[in-house]
Amino acid sequence: MSVPAPAVLVQNLRKSYGAVTAVDGVTFDVQPGEVFGLLGPNGAGKTTTVECVIGLREPDSGNISVAGIDRRAHPAAVKRKIGSALQSTALQDAITTREAVALFAALYGAPVTPEAVLDRFGLGPLAATRFGVLSGGQQQRLALALAFVSQPAVVVLDEPTAGLDPQSRRDLHAEIVAMRESGRAVLVTTHDVDDAEALCDRVAIIARGTIVAMGAPPELVARSGRTPTITLSAPESLDRGQLASLDGVLAVSIEGSRATLKVADVNRALVGIGRLFENAGIQLTDLLVRKATLEDVFIELTSLAS
Amino acid sequence: MHAFLTHSLIGLRLHFRNIMAVVYGYLFPTIFLVAFWTLYRYEQTPLIRHIGELLTITVLGGACFGLPTTLVSERERGVWRRYRLTPVSTATLVASTLTTRYVLLVIAALLQLGLAMALGMPAPRHPGQLFVAFSCTALALMGLGLTIAALADNVPAVQALGQCVFLPMLILGGVAVPLASLPPWAERLSAFFPGRYAVEVISATAAGDGLRGAGYAVFALLAIAVAATATGLRMFRWDRGQRFRSIRGKGWIAVTVGMWVVVGALAQPRADANARAARTEPATSVTPPPAESAAALAAAPAVSPPPAPQAAPAVKDTAHVTPPVRSAGRAEAEEPVAILTSWRQVTSADVLRDITFDRLPPDAGIVTPIADPADMPDADAAATLADVAGNLDTWPPALVDDPVQRVRNLLAVLATPDVLQQPFERFLPAVIFDHILKTTPQAELLQILYWIAMHPDGGTQPSPDDLVALGLPTAGADPLETRNRAAIYGVKLLGRVMGRL
Repeated sequence: MSVPAPAVLVQNLRKSYGAVTAVDGVTFDVQPGEVFGLLGPNGAGKTTTVECVIGLREPDSGNISVAGIDRRAHPAAVKRKIGSALQSTALQDAITTREAVALFAALYGAPVTPEAVLDRFGLGPLAATRFGVLSGGQQQRLALALAFVSQPAVVVLDEPTAGLDPQSRRDLHAEIVAMRESGRAVLVTTHDVDDAEALCDRVAIIARGTIVAMGAPPELVARSGRTPTITLSAPESLDRGQLASLDGVLAVSIEGSRATLKVADVNRALVGIGRLFENAGIQLTDLLVRKATLEDVFIELTSLAS
Repeated sequence: MHAFLTHSLIGLRLHFRNIMAVVYGYLFPTIFLVAFWTLYRYEQTPLIRHIGELLTITVLGGACFGLPTTLVSERERGVWRRYRLTPVSTATLVASTLTTRYVLLVIAALLQLGLAMALGMPAPRHPGQLFVAFSCTALALMGLGLTIAALADNVPAVQALGQCVFLPMLILGGVAVPLASLPPWAERLSAFFPGRYAVEVISATAAGDGLRGAGYAVFALLAIAVAATATGLRMFRWDRGQRFRSIRGKGWIAVTVGMWVVVGALAQPRADANARAARTEPATSVTPPPAESAAALAAAPAVSPPPAPQAAPAVKDTAHVTPPVRSAGRAEAEEPVAILTSWRQVTSADVLRDITFDRLPPDAGIVTPIADPADMPDADAAATLADVAGNLDTWPPALVDDPVQRVRNLLAVLATPDVLQQPFERFLPAVIFDHILKTTPQAELLQILYWIAMHPDGGTQPSPDDLVALGLPTAGADPLETRNRAAIYGVKLLGRVMGRL
């Protein structure tokens, strides 16, 4: 029995624009039923990577296959497998949502009725509404509907939450989860760490054209070696030596009446802190325990890369 | 196929939702039509000589501005980038875009033709061939529009490039300004512009002898269409991010420009041959000049006949057809010419001095046509001709005492159907010339025809009732136009009698 091909496989992708190398040896895969995020600051190369995958750009070198089909050899077949919603696309102002769905169903050769697609994305009541008068959230929903008309194996979303209000963003998250649950692979680019952490099964952090870290968000945090911190405040000045000598504390920094402790073990450090303050008769005014987040890892890795 | 049809259909719907596009596509052609109608209002047969120009302007507007504006604005919005993500080929989407535009152009043309006919223009003579001619024009100019879309980075650039193609073609390319009004260098230059060929094929099919004599123009339009469409496809840009300097296939511009040059260069010997033929034996020239109406105008510059007792013909407009008599200037330079007071004083020296045969409208043209002997009339025309031939011997205007008036009356029989563009017009001369030759001594005939050529306004014209009595299905035609056409037919007969034609 053969192992099913990954929904998306990108190997050693390179792409330059003149002297600028936008993507420099990127390799990753996306499995069916997985949401995979390309996370990186603006200009990191994530949009170029995605554009190579969906066929908007020709890579300089490297291999891309979608559902086991080589993109270079069978570009049209690959396009049939992918549904995309790009930030940089729009429709004619005068086209109605129903016409747009009918048009793209025809362009993909997809045997769907526009009404069914519109209802599926909650656009039924807007069937006769022209694109130009839709709200940003409604336009994004239509873009998703168009990405979906061909029932694709892979859905590619470029910065899907950019410019959305909180409600639309929640709706979009729900749509993406539903796509994953229906067995589709979802490839998302974003510069928003919260989106990546909330949505993605795996994330590749991309900076200056290369992937600097890849894995599930909790795994990335654990692997980064970043330790939890405890921040505390007291009405009087704190003694660095006493804090540093506590069990489980690795390092201490003090700014006036406020101390930040890097700790190896949160529980042991808290016991020590409680005992110390109790014995000295000092009242703690503030105490905050913070575990490392994906954002910490992201900022650390992307600032290192630049 | 489904993708092609859906995209074409939605393109049409979107067009009609765009108020500006509708105004541009349909109101402007109407304004042009009314303007031409007003400008040439003295012509008895409204607009038929200008419908080639009008339809060409309509296609130019839709193809060189409408098409690329739509394409480039959709590209700027990112619509084509979205299309690119679908498995449909570039060629399919471009073909459906061109189909949409073609349908819009056909609708505009039908409206224009309908309006022109409502204003009195006779129905096109060869509707099927007109459709072919119009389609060739549309293909050539839409190819150009596609190339403009490929060259332009944004919509303002489309406007600028479109004007670069539109205005020279309008002014120097024989589209809005008749070639005859232009200096010879501009006429030669016009051979390099597709607009000239568009006017030629549409005029020939709407009002002339059809595509038979317009083979080169059809070839020119199709060659330009193929080259420009290939260029537009090769250089097609999906993305606003693709700037002109970075796109591939720029060498294809040379293909389009090269095709214009080839078409223009190939046309030059043809223009020379036409000019030679026109100098030596215009009436037997087999190749019609590029634009028949324009050639007719060229053949008839405004001239003032020598002073005569009768009122000189009022030449109201340079575009008006007048008989080809030499200007008096040359004669004055040599020796004073005696002022003739009667047609009986006319000598062959007068005829040789004042009449030229090298600037007559071609027999195969739309002005004063004469059928080739091999050209057989159809049943309707043959019936009309038989009626006329049978009635001539007893037709009162052909029996009047004054020989000049008699010939005037007979020539008017030719002129009226010519002005009205009636289908049998070119077959009548054989019948009428024959009758005149039979009933008028040759020496007198030279004098009479000279007199009529110099005094087209003299005498009277038969009434519409007279013509109906002769068996012509006719109506009143513009008297000035009819008199001039009669005089030209007179000169054509004179040339035949003198062995000059």
